[in-house]
Amino acid sequence: MSTQHLPEHPDFLWRNPEPKSSYDAVIVGGGGHGLATAYFLAKNHGMTNIAVLEKGWLAGGNMARNTTIIRSNYLWDESAAIYEHALKLWEILPEELEYDFLFSQRGVMNLAHTLGDVRESIRRVGANKLNGVDAEWLDPQQVKELCPILNIRDNIRYPVMGATYQPRAGIAKHDHVAWAFARKCDEMGVDIIQNCEVTGFLKDGERVVGVKTSRGTINTEKVGLCAAGHSSVLAEMAGFQLPIQSHPLQALVSELHEPVHPTVVMSNHVHVYVSQAHKGELVMGAGVDSYNGYGQRGSFHVIEQQMAAAVELFPIFARAHVLRTWGGIVDTTLDASPIVGLTPVENMFVNCGWGTGGFKGTPAAGMTFAHTVATGAPHKLNQPFSLERFETGALIDEHGAAAVAH
Amino acid sequence: MAETAASPTSAKNPADKNLAARLSPARQLAEAFQAGSLAGTVELSELPFLTMVGVRADAGSEAATRLAAVTGGLPAGSGAVAGNGDVSVLWLGPSEFLVVAPTEAHESLGGDLIPALRDALGGDAGQVVDLSANRTTFELTGPRARAVLEKGCSLDLHPRVFKAGTAFSTEIANIPAVLWKTGGETFRVFPRASFAEFLGRWLLDAMREYASPEVP
Amino acid sequence: MLLIPCPNCGPRDETEFHYGGQAHVPYPENPNELTDTEWSRYLFYRENPKGIFVERWVHSTGCRQWFNMLRDTVSYDIQAVYPMGVPRPAAPLPPAADTGTASTGAASTTPLSPSTAPEGATK
Ligand SMILES: Cc1cc2nc3c(=O)[nH]c(=O)nc-3n(C[C@H](O)[C@H](O)[C@H](O)COP(=O)(O)OP(=O)(O)OC[C@H]3O[C@@H](n4cnc5c(N)ncnc54)[C@H](O)[C@@H]3O)c2cc1C
Ligand SMILES: [Zn+2]
Repeated sequence: MSTQHLPEHPDFLWRNPEPKSSYDAVIVGGGGHGLATAYFLAKNHGMTNIAVLEKGWLAGGNMARNTTIIRSNYLWDESAAIYEHALKLWEILPEELEYDFLFSQRGVMNLAHTLGDVRESIRRVGANKLNGVDAEWLDPQQVKELCPILNIRDNIRYPVMGATYQPRAGIAKHDHVAWAFARKCDEMGVDIIQNCEVTGFLKDGERVVGVKTSRGTINTEKVGLCAAGHSSVLAEMAGFQLPIQSHPLQALVSELHEPVHPTVVMSNHVHVYVSQAHKGELVMGAGVDSYNGYGQRGSFHVIEQQMAAAVELFPIFARAHVLRTWGGIVDTTLDASPIVGLTPVENMFVNCGWGTGGFKGTPAAGMTFAHTVATGAPHKLNQPFSLERFETGALIDEHGAAAVAH
Repeated sequence: MAETAASPTSAKNPADKNLAARLSPARQLAEAFQAGSLAGTVELSELPFLTMVGVRADAGSEAATRLAAVTGGLPAGSGAVAGNGDVSVLWLGPSEFLVVAPTEAHESLGGDLIPALRDALGGDAGQVVDLSANRTTFELTGPRARAVLEKGCSLDLHPRVFKAGTAFSTEIANIPAVLWKTGGETFRVFPRASFAEFLGRWLLDAMREYASPEVP
Repeated sequence: MLLIPCPNCGPRDETEFHYGGQAHVPYPENPNELTDTEWSRYLFYRENPKGIFVERWVHSTGCRQWFNMLRDTVSYDIQAVYPMGVPRPAAPLPPAADTGTASTGAASTTPLSPSTAPEGATK
C-alpha cells in the first residue's frame, strides 16, 4: 500500500476560455483520451492552436467512472505493443506532467477458475513474455502469498486454480490524471472548453471544415473524435457508421477500510475486479449490462452478482458496506479492441472502441491519435487498429484478455 | 444410503426394479427437510419421481386437439393449468406444455400416458418427450410458504393475484423453476435436477427464521 | 433492473430475459454476391442510437419466445413490444420535453395484450 499522501491541488489548473472562431484542430470529448491527444498534439507536433470541446465538465464521463486498472498483458502482438507502450508512458508521465497522480505499480492478478482459464492464461503468459511484457504464472499458494485475503479453498463454485500476474501493472488516481493532462495542455495554449456540446459538422464535400456546437460554430482544419460511449452519435452526425455498441458498465466502492488488499485482483470468469484505493475504499467493477444504454446507469442485479462473486473470493468483504454505485457508457467492439485511425470523412479521425478497458490505454491512445491527427496517417502502433479491419478480417480478438471489463 | 437399500436386483418384477433403481435429485436433503419443517407454519418435502412429459404442439392444430383429448385439455395461456383427474398440464409457452402425472403413470412402471400422448401426436409437427428425470418436485406448504417464496421470487404471490390452480415458469432464488400453486397455502416447485440441492438448501435457509418466535 | 412486458407472460424481471441486439436485420439473400464492405456491415455493424432502439429479447426462463421491443436507450422507457416477423410499429411520439412523467413498461404507449400469442414467434 502506498505511503504517499494525496497532494493538495490548486483551485484552478486550467483557464475556462471562450471558444475562438477557428482552430487548427478540434478534439471532441474532454475525457482522458481527448486530453491526452491534445497534450501530445501540442508537445510532439507543436499544434497549440487547438481546442478540446467537452459537452459536460472535464473528465466527467468514463474517465470519472472507471476502476483505474492499468496493465499491458494482452494476448496479440498488436495489443501488447500499444498497451505496453502505454504502460511505459505511465511510468514516466508523473515526472513529465509534474503531477503525482498516484500511479501505484502494485501488480495485477488475473485469476483462473477453470481448466480452460488455466490453459488460456498460461498461453497468454507465454505470449506476453515473447513481447517483453512482464508476466508470470502463479499457482494458488503463490496467489495466496501475494493476496492473503483471497479464498483459495477448492470448495467454492469457481475455485482459484492459479493466476497470471503482472508486477508492473497497477492503478492510478483517474481524476488527477485528467487534471495533470489538462494543466499541461492549458500551459501550452490549448483551449479546454467545457459545457460545449458538438451538435453537428460542417463539411465541404467529403472534407470536414468545422463543428457546430452549443456555443456557436467553430471552423477547423481537423477533427479528432474522442467521445467514448457517444462515438456512434458523433459518427452519425458526420455521416458514417461505427461498429460500436454502447453499453452500461457499472462499478462501486465500499466505505473506507484499513489497508487489507495489497494488489489488484481480477476475475473474468466471475465478473469481478477489485483493488483498494489510496484512501482505503474497496473499488470493484462489474461486467457490462447486456442491453445498449446511454443512461449512465445499469441494472442492480449486475451489482448483486458481482458482489456475490466478490464475497466468495474475499470472505472478509461480507462485512463491508457499499457506499456508492455508478455507471458509465462503454463503447464496445466485437473484437474487444479499440479503433484508432482515419474515417470515411476527410480530415476527421476517430479514437474509440476502448470499451471497458481504455483508461490504461490513455497515454498511448493520446500519443498515437495525436500522430494520426497531425500527420493524417496512423502511427505504427495504431495502424492495426483501423476501421478497415472489420472489412479485411484482420481482427484483433482480445476477448480472452479483455473479457468482462477493465 | 437407505433409499437404495432395496437393491434393484432383489426386486420381484421389472416395474419395481425400475423404481428401486431411481435416485431422487434431493435425496441427500431428506433428513434436513424433515428437521427444517415446522408443522403448522411451513413444511418442505421432495415428491420424487413424478411423471413429467414435455409436449409441444401449435395451439389450434389437429395434433393439439388430439393431445388435449388425452390430457383433458391444454391450457390456453400463461398461468393456466388444464387436465383431468391425476393428469395436469401446465402452460410453459404458446406451444409448449408440461404434463405432470403420478409416478405410476410412467411407461417404465406400466403406465400408458406417454404412449397415448405419442400416438396422439402421431407424425404431426410437435413433440412428446419424457422429461421425468429433468426436474424434481418440492412441495412447500403452510401459512408461511408464500413468505418463504417471496424472498426469492419477484412474481406477485399475493392470493389476490396468484390463485390456487395456476403455475408460472419463472425464477426462484436466481434459478429457473416452475412454480405451481396447488392449494391455498401449498406450492409445488420444479427445479431442474442439477439445481435441486441448491434450491433445497436455499428454501431451508429461507424457512429458518420461522422457527424462532416472531418479534412483535 | 428493467421490468419487461413479455407479450405472452406480462411484466417480468429483466433477469428472466436475454438480450438479442438490434431487430429486423435480415440475413443477406445472396451472401456470395456481397462486397467485403457490405458483408462487414452485416457482420459487425448495428445501429447504436441514443434514443429509441428496436431490439430483440427472449423470455428465457418464461415462455422461451423471442419478441421485439422499442426501448429508449437513455431513459430505458419501454415503449412497445410486438411479435417477431411483424414490421416495426411507427415510433411513438418522443416524450414531451419538460413534463417529466417518464412512463414505466406497464404504462407503455402501445398497449400490450398479453392474451394474444404472437404468430411466427419461434426460437
Ligand atoms: C465502470 C467502469 C470501469 C472501468 N474500469 C476500467 C479499468 O479498470 N481500466 C481501464 O483501463 N479502463 C476502464 N474503464 C474504461 C475507461 O474508463 C474508458 O475506456 C476510457 O475512460 C474512455 O476514454 P475517455 O476517458 O476519453 O472517455 P470519457 O471520459 O467518457 O470521455 C468522453 C467524453 O466525450 C464527451 N462527449 C460526448 N459527446 C460529446 C459531444 N457531442 N460534444 C462534446 N463532448 C462530448 C463526454 O461528455 C465525455 O466527457 C472503465 C469504464 C467504466 C465505465
Ligand atoms: Zn414470456
